[in-house]
Amino acid sequence: MYSIVGFYMKVIPIYAEAGISGFESPAAEYKELGLSLDQLLIKHPNATFIGQASGHSMKGIGIFDGDILIVDRSLSVKNGDVIVANFNGCFVCKLIDKTQARLLSASSAFAPVSITPEDEFTVEGVVTRSIRLHHKSPELIACMG
Amino acid sequence: MYGLVDAVSFYASAEKVFDPKIRNKPVVVLTNNDGCICAVCPIARRLGIPKFTPYFQVKSLLDKHGVIVRSSNYELYADLSERMMNVMSRFCDNQYIYSIDESFLHFDNFDSYVKDWHEYGHKIRKAVWKETRLPVGVGFGTTLTLSKAANHAAKKLSGFNGVAVISDEMSRMAILDKMKVCDIWGIGGKISQRLKQQGIHTAAQLANELPKHIGNQFNVVVERTVNELNGVSCLSWDEVQSPKKEIFSTRSFGQRITDVVALRTALVTHASIVAKKIRKQSSLVKKIMVFASNSPHDDLYYKQAIVYSFSMATDNSCHLANAIDKVINSIFSEGVKFYRCGVGAITLESKAFIQPDLFIPNQSNPALMQCLDKINQRYGDGMLTLGSAGHDDKWQMRRQFLSPQYTSQWSDIPKIRC
Repeated sequence: MYSIVGFYMKVIPIYAEAGISGFESPAAEYKELGLSLDQLLIKHPNATFIGQASGHSMKGIGIFDGDILIVDRSLSVKNGDVIVANFNGCFVCKLIDKTQARLLSASSAFAPVSITPEDEFTVEGVVTRSIRLHHKSPELIACMG
Repeated sequence: MYGLVDAVSFYASAEKVFDPKIRNKPVVVLTNNDGCICAVCPIARRLGIPKFTPYFQVKSLLDKHGVIVRSSNYELYADLSERMMNVMSRFCDNQYIYSIDESFLHFDNFDSYVKDWHEYGHKIRKAVWKETRLPVGVGFGTTLTLSKAANHAAKKLSGFNGVAVISDEMSRMAILDKMKVCDIWGIGGKISQRLKQQGIHTAAQLANELPKHIGNQFNVVVERTVNELNGVSCLSWDEVQSPKKEIFSTRSFGQRITDVVALRTALVTHASIVAKKIRKQSSLVKKIMVFASNSPHDDLYYKQAIVYSFSMATDNSCHLANAIDKVINSIFSEGVKFYRCGVGAITLESKAFIQPDLFIPNQSNPALMQCLDKINQRYGDGMLTLGSAGHDDKWQMRRQFLSPQYTSQWSDIPKIRC
């Protein structure tokens, strides 16, 4: 039995107890063996931030409107990576085409965007995971609107 | 070798991390209650926006230049500070976090590992920038005071690009020569005034004085500073982190208060803030002072202050709140329009040397207090309060220009356009 709390989704193990005083659960000594989603999903906690996808241009690679994105700033960007960039004062999630300096969408409805010297452009990090919430999460409902 | 790494106008820089719209704009951050400007980003500084001025005085100047104004977002700053400190800790095995935005590093036996301190400093800057998007300045010196001086040079003197190193006589004098005495770590306004009267204007001049001579004229702290400026280590971690001797929480009200319940609520809130700060530095309080007044500009000035002694030193918020209950009727006076109130811990003791009393049971409840602090740290200050601190917001902090809590509230995480 566990509960997921907070920003880093630390899994806090809770004693499995028999509920009878004087009768300790045989599982008590295994309480440290919880699974941590942080451990699985976040390799560089200090350099990682969490954001939320908004829009439909990345459907082709499975990033949908409202998905949670885990973004790692410490990785170096490789051609074809899914990145988050500051493009003219806005965080965008795109595929990076380093050879032609373009931002590519994963949907035929959105044309590639060329990055010109006039544009404000910095890579903010590499999207290492995206998470779909198949059931709505009450914590996030406020920001879905 | 010692290092001092600190963020360039930390609060203002932190505001830019998750808000790409304002990355290239002038940004200032206001203090508690949106009173004064406490941080000015480099772009705003170049526009001549002064630090530590009341907001209302420079409001038109800010509007004229389109300066972005933010209230202090402590939740965001605490999170970014931790990340920044963690990234720099990779570069040194002995780190001492001095404040929310600065950290000393002590490099012992690094000589075979670090050949070029300039290069190493830039490595630290690059890593912190890449991983947290916070700009930092790095100073290296052979003593703590010299590392602080180098850090000053790295950020404020021309010719340094965010990193400065004091490793030999030449680099030491080059920096100290250009530094004013008032910019030396540990030299306050009064002492620098007296030094100036004696013709000592620069750090280099102070370094050339005889330490003993300065010690006799001023005090041992200044004597040590002179030694430290000459590369003689006198300070250690323990000395730079002495806990505060007094802790106060006080504020003027947004609106005048005339009823006893509202005054009690405000005082209990101040008491809770004081208790939290006491716990943070592992102290206990023996005596508190509780005070309230109207404005000195009122027709009849009213001020009442009462000192309350605890039978046993405590760090428990409930004990402080009980003390408020006991003194409130002596402080409150019918008809007075209260303008200001506060609570101060005036006699503090170290938790390490507590003297228990045989006849008084120890009623501190560390588990409860830990729980309280943890919940408030996690979900924001004021999430869990004492019942008597109420939820009336007449006296509460004004934070009119608050940015979202990007890293500590799910509802506030940054939106990324796809």
